[in-house]
Formats: sequence, C-alpha cells, structure tokens
Amino acid sequence: MDHLTALENKSIFIIREAYYRFRNIAVLWSIGKDSTTLLWHCRKAFFGKIPFPVLHIDTGYKFPEIYRYRDRYAKEWGLDLIVARNEEKIRSGMGPDKGSKLECCTELKTNALKAAIARHGFKAILLGIRRDEHGIRAKERVFSPRDGDFKWNYEDQPAELWDNYKSTTHEEDHYRIHPILHMTELDVWNYVKREEIPIIELYSSKEGKRYRSIGCQPCCSPIESRARTVDEIIEELTTTKTSERAGRAQDKEDAYTMQKLRSLGYM
Amino acid sequence: MPRRAFNGRHARALVIGLDGVPHTLLRDYVDRGYLPETKRILDCGFALRRMDASIPDVSSTSWTSFMTGVNPGEHGIYGFMELEPGSYEMRFPNSADIMAPTLWEIIGRTSCGKRSTLCDRFGAAVDSPMRSVVLNIPQTYPATAINGVLTAGFVCPDLRKGTYPDSCYDYLMSIGYVPDVDSARAVEDRDGFIEELFMALEKRRKAFEHFFENEEWDLFIGVITETDRLHHFFFDGARDAAHPLHGTFISFYRKIDEIIGKLFNRFMELTRGEGLFLTMSDHGFSVVEQTVNVNAYLSKEGFLKKDVTRRYFDMIDTGTRAFAMDPSRIYINLECRYPRGSVSEADRTAVVEELKEKLLSINAPDGTPVIRALYEGSELYSGPHAGDGPDLVALAHEGFDLKAGLQQDRVFSKGVFKGMHTQNDAHCIMSKGLEAGDGLHIEDLAGLILDHLTT
Repeated sequence: MDHLTALENKSIFIIREAYYRFRNIAVLWSIGKDSTTLLWHCRKAFFGKIPFPVLHIDTGYKFPEIYRYRDRYAKEWGLDLIVARNEEKIRSGMGPDKGSKLECCTELKTNALKAAIARHGFKAILLGIRRDEHGIRAKERVFSPRDGDFKWNYEDQPAELWDNYKSTTHEEDHYRIHPILHMTELDVWNYVKREEIPIIELYSSKEGKRYRSIGCQPCCSPIESRARTVDEIIEELTTTKTSERAGRAQDKEDAYTMQKLRSLGYM
Repeated sequence: MPRRAFNGRHARALVIGLDGVPHTLLRDYVDRGYLPETKRILDCGFALRRMDASIPDVSSTSWTSFMTGVNPGEHGIYGFMELEPGSYEMRFPNSADIMAPTLWEIIGRTSCGKRSTLCDRFGAAVDSPMRSVVLNIPQTYPATAINGVLTAGFVCPDLRKGTYPDSCYDYLMSIGYVPDVDSARAVEDRDGFIEELFMALEKRRKAFEHFFENEEWDLFIGVITETDRLHHFFFDGARDAAHPLHGTFISFYRKIDEIIGKLFNRFMELTRGEGLFLTMSDHGFSVVEQTVNVNAYLSKEGFLKKDVTRRYFDMIDTGTRAFAMDPSRIYINLECRYPRGSVSEADRTAVVEELKEKLLSINAPDGTPVIRALYEGSELYSGPHAGDGPDLVALAHEGFDLKAGLQQDRVFSKGVFKGMHTQNDAHCIMSKGLEAGDGLHIEDLAGLILDHLTT
C-alpha cells in the first residue's frame, strides 16, 4: 500500500470508530485545506454521503472566497451544513480591532462552538488538526477529551497504543477527534493532488503572494510565493524552512501584549 | 505557631514593590498622616529615600534592572518592545529575553549558566540553594521553574504559563487572582475601573499573605502594580483636594499602607528583627501637561520618512535617518542594522550630534524647553548587550510625556493620561543602617539583598 493510501485508511478507520462509538457527532469544517481533506475522508468513509452534520463556525470575518466555496460544495456534496455564529457579539461589533484579538477569537470562535455543541448535544467533534502544525499539537491524542469549559489537560490524557482509543468520559465532557493528526502539511497537499480535491483559490499565488494558512481575513496575511498550482505548492514546501502559521497575524500573546501596552499609552 | 526560620537563619529578605510610587508623594502622604503604618516603620530605624530608576524609566527595563542588579547592557531589556534583528518587525521581549540571572536564579542556583557582574560577585557565596517567592514582578512572563514560587506580573497573557509551580496556579485560581486590571476601560467606566483596582489590590494582599505564611522562603518579593494604573489615569488627583478622586487616592494608599504594616510586623517577628525589609518602586510619577510625540518631531525635522501604506514600524521608509521607540529610545537607521537603513556607520556620529542639537532645542508652544537630559547609549550601557540598545535616550522635564508611536503627526498633543513616569523620583524604604553614600539607584538593591542573604 502506498503512503497516501495508508494515511487515508488510518483516517477513515478513526472516522468510522468515532461515528460507531458516539453517533451524535459533527465534523468541523473551516474550509481550509486540512478540514476539506478531512471532509473528503468522511465522504469516502461513508461512500459519498456523510451521515452527520458538517459544522462551520462563521465569525463574519472570513474571506469572501471561503463563503463562496462553502456554499458551492455544501450543495454539490449534499452536506448537512450547520453554520454557527455568535450573533449577539457579531451584532455588537466584536472584532479584532475592538477588543483584543484573543477576546475576538474567544467570542466568535470558541463561544460559538460551545453554543453549537450545547444546542445540538454533540458528543464528539471531528477536527482537521495535524501534529506538525504547532509544538503543542504534537502532544494531542486522536481521541482527545475536553471538559465542560473546553479545557484540555495535556498532562492527563489516555494512552493510545495500538489504535485503542478511549471514548468514555464524564457526562459534561465531549471529545475532540483528530482523524488526520498523523498527516503533515506536505502529505495533505500530495493527497489533494492525488484526489483532485478542489482547493480554494486563496492558496494559489496572486501577484507574488499566496496564503499558506487561512482563517479570518483581518488576522491572516499572505506569504511571498510564486506557487500557483498544487504541484508548485508541493515543490515550494519541500524546500521551505519557514513555519506554516508564520503568515497568521502575530500570535495571540503578542496581540494581547500590544492591546495592554496601548491601554497604557504606548505604541 | 512561630515558623522555623528557613535554613536556621534569620537572614531573610522581604521586598514590597510599589509600581510607580514616587518618593515625593510618599513623603508627602506620610507627613500628612495618611500612612500611619509607613510612619511607624520610618520611626523605628528605617529611612525613606529617593532613588533613580533605570533609563529609560519604563517598567520592563526598570524592574529587570532591579531583579538582575545590572544595567540593560547586561540584562538586555530596553523596553516593552523591540524590533526583530535586521527587520522592522515588532517583537515583545519576555522573561526568556533577560540575559542576566535574576536574584532568585542566583540564590536558587537556577541561573543555567547565565552570568552577570552581580552573579560573579555573589554566586560563590551562595553555599546552599535558597528559596524565593516572587509575586507579580513585571517582565517575568512566562514563568520558568525556579527554586520557589513565581507568578508573573505585567504583561501576563496566560496566568497558567505565568505561574510556577502548578500548585501555585491552582491556589491563585481558587482566590480569583488577576494578573492585571483592564486599563482600557479606565476612561469610559471610571468607577468600574476603580472598583477593579481595589479588587486586584485585595487579591494581591491575599496572595502575598498566603505565600508568606505557607511557603518556605528566604527571599520574598511581592509587587503591587495597581498604583501605576491609578497614576497613569488619575495622578492629577494625588494632591488636588478638589479632584473627585482625591479621597479614593488616599484610601487606596491607606489600604497599601495596611498591607505593608501587616507584612512588616510578621516579618520582623519571624526574623527577630534581623531580616532585610525594603519597599521600593521602579519609577516615580508626575502630572502630564503635554504628550510629546518624538517620532512626529523627527518627521518634522526630516529625520524620519514614513510610508503610511505599511503598518507599525514597517512604515519606516528609505531615507529615514533616525526613529524612536517607546518611551524615548532613539535609534539611528543604520545600513548595517536595518533593511531600509540609510545611514552608514561612518556618518553615525554626525547624525547623533545633529539629533542632539535638534532634540535639545524642542520647546513647548509657550517656549519652555522639553528635554531635561539626553544620553548616548554608550554613556548608559555596558556589557555584552550594550550594542542592542538605543543610540540616544531622552529624558523630559516634568510635565512632558515622551511617546514614540508612529501614528501621531502633531508633536504636542493631549491624551487621556494624567500621569507620566519620572526617572529621578522612585523611592526606597530601607534600614537606616544600609544608607551608603548619595545617589541610590535601582540597580543597587539586588546587591544589598544578596549581601544580606549570603552573610
């Protein structure tokens, strides 16, 4: 079996395990390349028709390309799409420039997700995170328990040897399931190429710049790149040394620090 | 039950830090009888002394000078913000950027190979590792494993990462401890902000007393930062009896006075009067008359060229000869140092001279001179990181608050801030026996503390 098929098999196994054990689950779709790859695996796992909802957390600040892509493929792939928004905060004008970026993320992403989980009673959420994205993610489990406050205690996690996943937890908790945790950024692009998964145009270079990681428009910035096709992106990734999330605006701690300094008259 | 003195010694040290509390105001409040506990301490062998803060007199630099006992040329912290090497991209130095060992690293034997002149002086005298309790000192985030407990002060984006060990974090969470107040609302919601200041002060008291009684320690440092916040927004109320917050000011100080008095009593009891007791501040405060935007002035005089289509310090354009970073650090835009550097190493001295002349001639609209003193980096800093510092640092006369944002185009403006830092009016209360010559400087305190702990 080739490498990409092995990775795919593993993901599909995890997705089916999750559905079998929890039933009431949803897959989180941010429309980026990773969660779209995850969605692709979900479709394959159930022969084209995903038997659970697809959840999109809409902060209202996403790129217009993201909304267009979402609506087009939700229809084409027959997805049971749930769009979750923290309407109250969006209406009150919450944004990265209003409060701190940390506050904005907490309200528009975390709290919107919390509300959606509570409303639909999901027992587990599938997420397209990967171990190689960020140091802390290397500590993640495939079946990752969260408490009622969404807290993840990385020092207290079940061992996951020989693909045995623990799926019992306290009543108020839910699980995060990470079916593509074992894929790297390069694996994802190679898989996108092989499967011909449609990819949002933000990833392709325009005027010497492209997005390597996408999220909310105000907090993402493109990287210098001439890669316009998937082949060129793969070529670029095999030679680059900068990190994938380098294009994301300053990390949350910096944003918090800057807001604090401003409140005392600096900057 | 009386506690056993740790290591069988009474040679312990207690430092209470009061962020931004000026010598003059403290003197004044003591004389007016507002601070009975402080008065009592001063009456039993302690002196209230004026102290110089670091230059620049910004909390991150000054506190780092206090906790390492060395100048920024050795500890490497020149402000809350720096530029990435070879770029105009901003970065925010944190505890990992402090290049000299701190007091607790020296006495706890956890300096991990870091060296400084102070460490060389005292390191060998630490015969067995000593424990510290370090609460709320700015610039200590993220917390590293120390011999003792530490919770970081400003800026602390994540209390868990700012606290060591976890049991300390658990305790802080249990009392609803906050690392900082929300200064952003000080103007819009004054009463809410004041209430939050009192709440935060109460959490500090609780945490101080808890760790004082329940930890083993040789060195205890607890810092109150709410004074700095109160001062930034309302320092005009410190002495003006007609100010709506004058009464609040006094009751806030009185509450701090009670905290100091109580800790002082317990400490003297524990150490049988032999412990080293200090209160100190990282800078003073005075009332702001006008904000002086250094970069606007540099633009006006042709030193700074901005490309406003870019953001933050990336706005600095080709042709820029000098720019400033908060509060008043001036850097020459050297070819060898910055991507759009426009001054050759050979021309540096000439540009510095020209800048000095221009800066010293800034006058307020009514003709009053603004700049009190101007120093070249080489006059102020020495050590392995002296070269990372600014080329010039300006100090202003009282009333002129130097700021270095890039947004303002007017040289003089008025903001919401009523208080500004002063460099020459920090305070220190110390035993009269410790008085040694004139000109106490914040870098001197660490040596006094180590001297006490190691003898």
